[in-house]
Amino acid sequence: MVDGATAGLFLDAAGMKALGAAIAISVTGYASAIAEKDIGTAAIGAMAENEGLFGKGLILTVIPETIVIFGLVVALLINQ
Amino acid sequence: MSRPKEMTRAVIVGHKSILKETIDALHDTNLFHVEDFVEDESGFKISKPFKNAGEVSKKLVKIRSIANYLGIESKKPVVQKTDSVLRELDSKLDELDRTISAKTESISQLENELKDLESQKRDILPYLSIDLDFEYYRGYESLRVFAGTVKGSLEESQISSITQAYELYFDPQSKAVVLFVAKNDADKVYELLQGLGFKEFRVPERGGVPSELLRFIEQKEAEVTKRIESLKGEIESLKSRYADFILASDEVLTIESQKAELPLRIATSENAFIIDGWTPAEDYDKLVSVVSSATKGKAYITSLEIHHEDEENVPVEYNNSKVVAPMQEVMDLYSRPKYTEIDPSSAIFITLPLIYGLILGDIGYAMILGGLALAIKTLVKSDAVKPLMNILIYCEISAAFFGVLYGEFLGFSLASLHTEHGVVPGLIPGWETITLFEGIGGEVFTFPVHRSHMIMTMIGLSIFVGLLHLNLGYLLGFSNVARHHGMKHAILEKGSWMIIELGAILAAAGYLSVGGSALMYVGAIVLVLGIVMLAMGEGIAGVVELPSLMGNVLSYARIIAVGLSSIYIAGTVNDIAFGMIWADHSQIGFAAIAAILVFMLGHGLNSVLSIIAPGLHALRLQYVEFFGKFYQGGGRKFNPFGYIRKYTEE
Repeated sequence: MVDGATAGLFLDAAGMKALGAAIAISVTGYASAIAEKDIGTAAIGAMAENEGLFGKGLILTVIPETIVIFGLVVALLINQ
Repeated sequence: MSRPKEMTRAVIVGHKSILKETIDALHDTNLFHVEDFVEDESGFKISKPFKNAGEVSKKLVKIRSIANYLGIESKKPVVQKTDSVLRELDSKLDELDRTISAKTESISQLENELKDLESQKRDILPYLSIDLDFEYYRGYESLRVFAGTVKGSLEESQISSITQAYELYFDPQSKAVVLFVAKNDADKVYELLQGLGFKEFRVPERGGVPSELLRFIEQKEAEVTKRIESLKGEIESLKSRYADFILASDEVLTIESQKAELPLRIATSENAFIIDGWTPAEDYDKLVSVVSSATKGKAYITSLEIHHEDEENVPVEYNNSKVVAPMQEVMDLYSRPKYTEIDPSSAIFITLPLIYGLILGDIGYAMILGGLALAIKTLVKSDAVKPLMNILIYCEISAAFFGVLYGEFLGFSLASLHTEHGVVPGLIPGWETITLFEGIGGEVFTFPVHRSHMIMTMIGLSIFVGLLHLNLGYLLGFSNVARHHGMKHAILEKGSWMIIELGAILAAAGYLSVGGSALMYVGAIVLVLGIVMLAMGEGIAGVVELPSLMGNVLSYARIIAVGLSSIYIAGTVNDIAFGMIWADHSQIGFAAIAAILVFMLGHGLNSVLSIIAPGLHALRLQYVEFFGKFYQGGGRKFNPFGYIRKYTEE
């Protein structure tokens, strides 16, 4: 694209913003997933021993969800 | 805000001669939580179970194994008298046991027979194409018989080139061979056959023509199968005839066995017994009068004072109204409150549906899921399912309320919206969006609330809801600490957090408003004061926890985030479905049917997601953010000695 070359950038400002938002969401999504994977495995292991641990296991598993929520907030702020 | 039911520690003492009456009376009241006695140096010992215990548990095992075999499930109870059940128990149980074991034995015999017939049939099948009586296959002195299959084809000429003394039966289709040859030439013929991949069959030892034998066996098989079916049918009829008896006697025997085994849990000396336990304070008088009248006043009952250090171990019974009671399931899923704690059931009765509704906020999904919950509640008679459905109904009512506020129906906007690009019409003609006031970041706040057009404002609102929720948690924590450790501790431990919040808000307001720098300094001073108080109250650990406050507050942004994801899924489904219909130019064709299918499947999927996603996130905000501020949990369940009868009565 000639326009892109003249601007000296690969993308225009709006495109860079969108890309930044996408990175914010996807990287934090991966981070949450990795953290939840380990906790969830352990929680299911604990539940196999004692069914009563479901509530605690659920809570511990969803704690890293906050990471992706932060990512979402950042993405929305970028697009402001 | 309720506390768990107040408990009284009661001790019942008496002579062993009245132990049985005492236990019967306690079991009937179903009000007394028996504290298991642990043998120590006091000289008291646990007692032996009643004499009938062994007998009762033997019968119980028998009846449960029968119930298991017949596959008896609990059903609408037919209430029977305990006496009559007990009277008939032995004879009926014996009879049932005998009939069932006789029948299962004959079934297994018949099944063996069936297997036998099957193997006979397998032996005969290869001979079917060569219909020779099996008697012809044996008893020769100078003849050798080959019976089996070959791989290729067998020509008579191949054999006649070796010998003339032969008789060949060959079925070219199944490649079955029966060949009679003179013994002298047998070896040579065998070599030839082996070259053709000959595989020998076993000749059945019985006589008879294969086709007739097969018909006979098949007839017999049908007979045996029929008999097995009829026996199974008889067992099935036993099930319907005896179901009531089995359920009732299971209940009676369970009760008997509970009573017979109680002596294992209480302290006894040579002649006396002591039963130690808990009863709700309101029921203590009733317990005293019931036990006294059952033992004619011979048992001594007294209540003991609860020491401060014992309070943690008092069994906990919820004390909530019927409306709030379903929330106890949510509490039990986390952990039952301690006796000394506030029971937050009534708090989450409001906050859980509120946050769920804030997230989902769609009239369509609220109606679908609410209807589903109502249907399950009326159709399924399980005690475990009902509270969950009640919680779901509360949540859907709240979702419907916010659905009206948001003006959303299955992802469609109900009101029309004026944007920079023109007017987007709503589903209800004439419902115009009204602009109320300026929101955050240049957005406008409208009624109905178009969430996807005022994201920053909604994030702000979500966080504001979060602040309210967290501070409710701090207030509950304040009350807990004030009750047990005094006002000073409460202010330092929980009040300090609120002061920190206040300081942060003042400082932020000062920073944002032009020329209000004085306010900023005031805020900073308040903030530092709060941190100092926190350090005094909880030590350095409290200060380390400070950043988590911001994490907790921001975590509430998920209210709008998860809500938006639901809207976008619904909107995408609508776009695809209606795109397909418009593409068809109002002809009812394949695309229209596919569109309806996409619409239903898409919204079906999103309905299921609408339980899981908002439900889990609303629950998490209670468990992690809210409970983290005040709740400990870990209370013991109040588990009274007794039984709730369903199938029998005294």
